[in-house]
Amino acid sequence: MDTSKKYFLRDVIGGYMKTVGEKEPLSVMVNADLMGTCRNRTFAETFPERTFNVGIAEQNMISFAAGLAHEGFIPYTFSMAPFMSMRACEQVRTDVAYENLSVRLVAPYAGLSGGISGATHWSIEDCGIMTSFPNMTVLEPCDPVQAERMMDFTITHKGPVYLRVSVEPVYSIYPDDYTFEPGKACVIREGTDGAFLCSGITVKYALEAAEILEKEHGLSVSVTDMATVKPIDREAVISAARTGAVIAAQDHNIYGGLGQAAGNVIAESGIGTRFRTVGISDTFVSMAHAEYLYHRFGYDTEGLVRNMLELKGRA
Amino acid sequence: MRPTASQLKTAAAEIRKDLLTLCAKETIHIGGDLSITDVMTVLWQYQMNYDPKDIKSESRDRFVLSKGHASAVTSFNQAAVGCFDKEDIMREYAADGGRFSMHSCNLVNPYVEASTGSLGHGFPIACGMAAGLRLKGNNTSRVYVVMGDGEQSEGSVWEAAMNAVHYRLGNLVAIVDFNGLEADGTIDEVTSLGDIAGKYHAFGWNTVEINGNDIEEIINAFDALPPADSDIPTVIVCHTTKGKGVSFMENQVRWHAGRLTPEQRDQAIAEIEAALAEEGEN
Repeated sequence: MDTSKKYFLRDVIGGYMKTVGEKEPLSVMVNADLMGTCRNRTFAETFPERTFNVGIAEQNMISFAAGLAHEGFIPYTFSMAPFMSMRACEQVRTDVAYENLSVRLVAPYAGLSGGISGATHWSIEDCGIMTSFPNMTVLEPCDPVQAERMMDFTITHKGPVYLRVSVEPVYSIYPDDYTFEPGKACVIREGTDGAFLCSGITVKYALEAAEILEKEHGLSVSVTDMATVKPIDREAVISAARTGAVIAAQDHNIYGGLGQAAGNVIAESGIGTRFRTVGISDTFVSMAHAEYLYHRFGYDTEGLVRNMLELKGRA
Repeated sequence: MRPTASQLKTAAAEIRKDLLTLCAKETIHIGGDLSITDVMTVLWQYQMNYDPKDIKSESRDRFVLSKGHASAVTSFNQAAVGCFDKEDIMREYAADGGRFSMHSCNLVNPYVEASTGSLGHGFPIACGMAAGLRLKGNNTSRVYVVMGDGEQSEGSVWEAAMNAVHYRLGNLVAIVDFNGLEADGTIDEVTSLGDIAGKYHAFGWNTVEINGNDIEEIINAFDALPPADSDIPTVIVCHTTKGKGVSFMENQVRWHAGRLTPEQRDQAIAEIEAALAEEGEN
């Protein structure tokens, strides 16, 4: 991980939409008055005839996009994750997932990354909602190259895709020649004493935590990027379970997120391991900066170190 | 050759008899099926450009049933134009593994452009289709969408109403079945809609109001539609009678959905036939 430069994934994805537009003439964009927030202006200026802004009407954004998909287009819809997953929930489920339409749902403000905007703008339920829809693929990028390769995947994939995107900064983790394999997790740090399963913003914290655990506590802990939240990479989860101490960390409620999905795989596998889900502890709290909240809920670097030490009986 | 008004009246009576026959076998939304039967008959058997042998034809007109519970009247009209046999509907409606049910599903029925059932969805989907046609340079096809009057309470209807005007979707034709009743009572008892046409007019729509149970008026409304490449969407507000044509069903909330006894079915069908015969004498 190269911490010398910060990246913002909504900038990366918003900017890459121009490339998507150039690569795929059938790609269109549908927004609901958040083109600035979602960094869509470059696409809109380059392809004005392929840009629709339906106003502050997320339900209509999704149904309208479904109509465009019925006519053979590949609509990219953008909104903040809470509005995408909840305001337009039934439209996503019934108009898009039921029909297995190739509509793309790109959702910044994942987890608590909305920070001081407060709970209205947080999305701590979206994985639970989106992974429960048949046909839906759920992705969560942690790095700029990965985000672009995921966008390439959305050009060709048949069926709906939900992309949950943190607006907190990330670092470069993958090389330029990284290839994204849907449904495949990436072991980005090997380890034998324990394992972090994470996605999105928690990947950088897990890498830092694993480094500290090795240097200061002599523990060899692996870090697996569960970039495809659904379908979950069962082999990767089982491999992590063989270390005997697994922490699943995601910027999401502990219900309905990566932890429950991974725990389910572990239980079904029959492997005995210590296991802990770290995320938002099923509560609403008042607004604060994201980093403060990550610390409070124990999935920043320090929190992940502490959680792993506790799980290992070393705290 | 397009059918005449007289032929369409006979066709509509046939659809009503099919509906009533089915309604003695299974529960269907008979009230709202009967109210929109005349409009659906003219739409499918006179107005729409739709070849059941080439259902993905780019030049076809698109149809979205936003009031998804009127699936039976849609399926019988699709049978009338050759999509399948009406006996298929009689046999498979609400049968496990069948193609026909209370709400249309295109997982099993390819003649359904968009699966519907939840209200307030089909209209914005139709807007997206109409925008998609424009984007493809198709300036001849239209998108027809049929909504209920109670459905007008859904906020997404008005989100779509704004967008259709904003995107100049003159290729979109919305039809509102204004039968005055919804599941829990009359529209005015539940939540008054007031002047539906006036509301659409205020949103910038071309508005037409007709008696939606009068075949000639329906034909005239369709004949007078602005061209598909025009800029203003049209709404046809159809004043109809829920349960139209059956004396004990007309304007009765309890016949929103239901099932007929064989005796009720026979009486109802006799009334339809008598009315058609009387029409023929006039």
